[in-house]
Amino acid sequence: MPQQPQPTPTPPKKKKVRVPRVVNGVEQMVEIEVDDVAGPGWGPNDKHTLLNHRMTRVDGPLKVSGAAIYTYDVRLPNMLYGRIIRCPHAHAKLKKFDSTAASRMPGVKAIIQTPLKEFRFAGSPVAAVAATTPELAQDAARAIVVEYEVLPHVVRAQDAIKPESPEVLPRDPKKPDEKNLRLANKNGDPEKVEAALKTCDAVVEAEYYTPRIHHACLETHGMVVDYRGSESATVYATTQGTFTIPKDAADALGLPESAVTATVQHMGGGFGSKFGIGIEGMLACQVSKQTKMPVKLMLTRHDEFVMAGNRSGSWQRFKAGVKKDGTLAALRATQYRLGGVGQGSQAGQPYAVYRAGEAYREVYSLHTNEDSSIAMRAPGHPQASFAMESLLDELAYKIGMDPVAFRKKNMRDQAYHRQIDRGAREINWEQRNPTPGGGAGPLKRGMGCAAGTWGGGGNDQCKVDVTVSRDGSVVVAVGTQDLGTGTRTFTRAIVAEELGLQIKDVVERIGNSKLGGANPSGGSTTAASLSPSVKDAAYKTRMALGEKFAPLLGNAKPEEITFAGGNVSGGGKTISWKQACAALPAAGVTAHGAWRSELQSRGVHGVAFAEVEVDVETGKVRPIKLLQVQDGGLPLNRLTMESQINGGMIQALGMALWEGRVMDANLGIQLNPGFGDYKLPGSLEMPELIPIIDDEDKREVVIGIAEAAIIPALGALANAVFNACGVRVRELPITPDKILMALPTERRSA
Amino acid sequence: MKAFEWMSANSVAEAINALKSAPTPADPDDAARPIAGGQDLLTTMKDYITRPTRVVNLKGIRGLDKIEADGKGGLRIGALVTLTQLEERPIVRRNFPGLSEAAHSIATPQIRNLGTVGGNLCQRPRCWYFRLEEVMCLKKGGSECYAATGENKYNAIFGGGPSYIVHPSDLAPMLVALGASVSVAGSEGKRIIALEKFFTLPADGNPRRENVLKNDEIITEIQVPGSKFAAHSAYLKFKERDSLDFAMSSVAAAVAMGANKTISEARLVLGGVAPIPWRVPKAEASLIGKTLSDEVLRNSAAIALEGAKPLAQNAYKIPLTQTLVRRALAKAGSVSS
Repeated sequence: MPQQPQPTPTPPKKKKVRVPRVVNGVEQMVEIEVDDVAGPGWGPNDKHTLLNHRMTRVDGPLKVSGAAIYTYDVRLPNMLYGRIIRCPHAHAKLKKFDSTAASRMPGVKAIIQTPLKEFRFAGSPVAAVAATTPELAQDAARAIVVEYEVLPHVVRAQDAIKPESPEVLPRDPKKPDEKNLRLANKNGDPEKVEAALKTCDAVVEAEYYTPRIHHACLETHGMVVDYRGSESATVYATTQGTFTIPKDAADALGLPESAVTATVQHMGGGFGSKFGIGIEGMLACQVSKQTKMPVKLMLTRHDEFVMAGNRSGSWQRFKAGVKKDGTLAALRATQYRLGGVGQGSQAGQPYAVYRAGEAYREVYSLHTNEDSSIAMRAPGHPQASFAMESLLDELAYKIGMDPVAFRKKNMRDQAYHRQIDRGAREINWEQRNPTPGGGAGPLKRGMGCAAGTWGGGGNDQCKVDVTVSRDGSVVVAVGTQDLGTGTRTFTRAIVAEELGLQIKDVVERIGNSKLGGANPSGGSTTAASLSPSVKDAAYKTRMALGEKFAPLLGNAKPEEITFAGGNVSGGGKTISWKQACAALPAAGVTAHGAWRSELQSRGVHGVAFAEVEVDVETGKVRPIKLLQVQDGGLPLNRLTMESQINGGMIQALGMALWEGRVMDANLGIQLNPGFGDYKLPGSLEMPELIPIIDDEDKREVVIGIAEAAIIPALGALANAVFNACGVRVRELPITPDKILMALPTERRSA
Repeated sequence: MKAFEWMSANSVAEAINALKSAPTPADPDDAARPIAGGQDLLTTMKDYITRPTRVVNLKGIRGLDKIEADGKGGLRIGALVTLTQLEERPIVRRNFPGLSEAAHSIATPQIRNLGTVGGNLCQRPRCWYFRLEEVMCLKKGGSECYAATGENKYNAIFGGGPSYIVHPSDLAPMLVALGASVSVAGSEGKRIIALEKFFTLPADGNPRRENVLKNDEIITEIQVPGSKFAAHSAYLKFKERDSLDFAMSSVAAAVAMGANKTISEARLVLGGVAPIPWRVPKAEASLIGKTLSDEVLRNSAAIALEGAKPLAQNAYKIPLTQTLVRRALAKAGSVSS
């Protein structure tokens, strides 16, 4: 049959609008082109009825009562339990894999090997076993006999950089001379930096080190694969991307992508570590395919530490010079990304908040026999920010300049100036200890500050449906996921505000790959991707309802009908929402929303201040106060934004004072793969937390701030420790042993 | 964990029989184990550090959960008394304040609600090499103490070799300072052991054990004698993380003071620095006849840490423990009776 000619759609009219963008840490207005059609806008940030208010999260009651079902909680009839077998050696080849005895054990249904024959880190998965109970699965896992040819390994960066070190990875054929140290990029002119250094009044050379950090999600990685031999499957996943699951799961199950539904109702933390099905998901799918039974495979805590990824470690060397007036005039940086078998991550120096005159950097990946680093909340930024902010502090003290004034001298963007002034005021900066380590008695107080930047813009992947039924119920549906970041709450709130309703009047359906598409939650992109689509759907719903309601309201013009306080008004009449909806057709009204670029932006600024107390007789650091001034355009939910800032500050606090992977160099294994020895801060470690939303930011756009929240507190804490006791700890975490050993003997006993 | 047989004992005799009649273990860590609160035993079983074939429940034994005055100013503490009970009992708080502080310093409220006094004294070490199943260290029948040359920030500065663990109990240093003894019941009858002699150095006995208990013996009671110094006792524990941690170092101190606050008796025991509670008699003696002046405190702290042999990463324990000695003594001396 000949094809009918398709009518050419009229291209939409375009208009130019000016929107804020942050490029290299500097906010600027840029002109972009958007469709010239009537559409929604957020309006002034202080004119909202629900958004930019403090809303308790809608999933809160479910979570605190234990009713929320996480992947870990899913139990299906005849479900098998999977268990991973890991390689205990930092580098080894598989010699023998004998599962004869294990496969004969009661309840054992499947044993599946990974395709790997050479393992390059301790913890590398070798196989999975599935049995009818978790205990039987574990017994079977232990009954499998694996023999290895153990090969030389290296787990310390200082060793891996040596020419004689064992080789971690096969060489890159394009760069056959590079072994464990591989150049990633270079930037700037080293000779110009050397020349500039000669003109400086003070020069500091320093080296900083941050260890591997673990995501420490309370819910470990894993999934429940519900496949029973039919033509479809459901995967319950703890993931940051509902839509990152079906394709890979379908491939592993031998099904078409459309036959697999991923569901993500509640999840126990991701922080960048949970995208795709992972090797554990691959194994779970293969077991399910082979047995035609549902399988739950959740990593143990030990698995989680050694094979589920981590934040890249860092090792950074600097030579930097300043003028007497505080101008940072020259900076040379050698940056090593410590990503294990992965490339690692580290923002380039000078960190984007600051200008550095002449700058040159060399960035390398330095490989060790450890599992690959993966994304973790603001990948590369805390490491770079900690080093840069420590360096700036050292320079400021060296020339005797107030660290706040010094920073303002070198900050690129005026937004930081107002934020650093605000923070200084809030923490009473003028009252800080004038002399590091000075004052009587063993308890020394100190303050420090630092700044951070992040993108947080969105993309156009979210497709949202809003349906209003004849009974007045409102459902907003989109396949996105809520990582605990408040997605459910703001999704409801945007629709409720648009329709003049309350939060409880709207129900959200999310976390299912059969709903409208959505982006994975990485890079703080969710709010800026999802909220414009929700807003668009809500706006179109209001317009569609306006047309339906017009006859009830004296044939008022649809765009003049107002929705407020649970009522609908127009043509001089007001009727209740319920009454109005009763006039809808049986199918109700559904509107589809898509992303609108002009409702979001990217580029946020944040400044943190810390106050600590250091006991110079024990080395103990007690955080007293942490505050962060943070902008983010329109805060969708002030309570959530404050919680995000608090959560970021707490994670930074952990990284500053307690956390860090400890490896044994000879054995090549992690020594602290559990919450006993990997020390997360607990309730008694908490300082007073002061999250401050920077309302001077008048941008009427949504920007993600989740990652921005973790960046600056780290440097602020390290600098506060120095201001308190005069000890500059350049290697995180700042633990009592490091402080005590750095203090001169006479000062250890005050 | 490995599958095991569960037996519940209703009397001390039943418990001992159950332990004694268990099959002879191939390895000491396969031996039948008594369980009370289980707060340490279960973690070692889950990680296959211990693999008992039989677990004997002591919680059904009556009469082991009492704290009683002994009529002579001392205490009799049943082995099944929980750490919370020990911490909160008024007679302990009043007459043995250091003991209440030691109990309070342990783990978390949830663990203290279940963990028992007997179990606390019999905990296995926290050394990460010991706690990782894949590391066959000296304490597990291997040939090497990996902490000696490895990551040894938390390990011993006293009494080390061939193993460099530190004893994890917080009650132990305080009870040793208070001159406590333990009643032990076994198939060969009862014995009473001074707590100071209960713990064993790796060099003196079997490096695979931390105390003199035999496989078929259990602690039934702890006796804390009345003394002039018990009411002037203090326990200071330094934790890297206050919310939940073992001691990087700790000090149990008790002093008896005569006229003009002159010290007539002193006890000083260090925790977290040695494979056993580390009593420092020379430092104790240095205090006799003195008042707790700053100079006396500093002098005793210096003496207490004499002879310390730090490993590559734990020299900080010397100044840290010196600080704790000074502060614990000052605190003990300031307690009014």
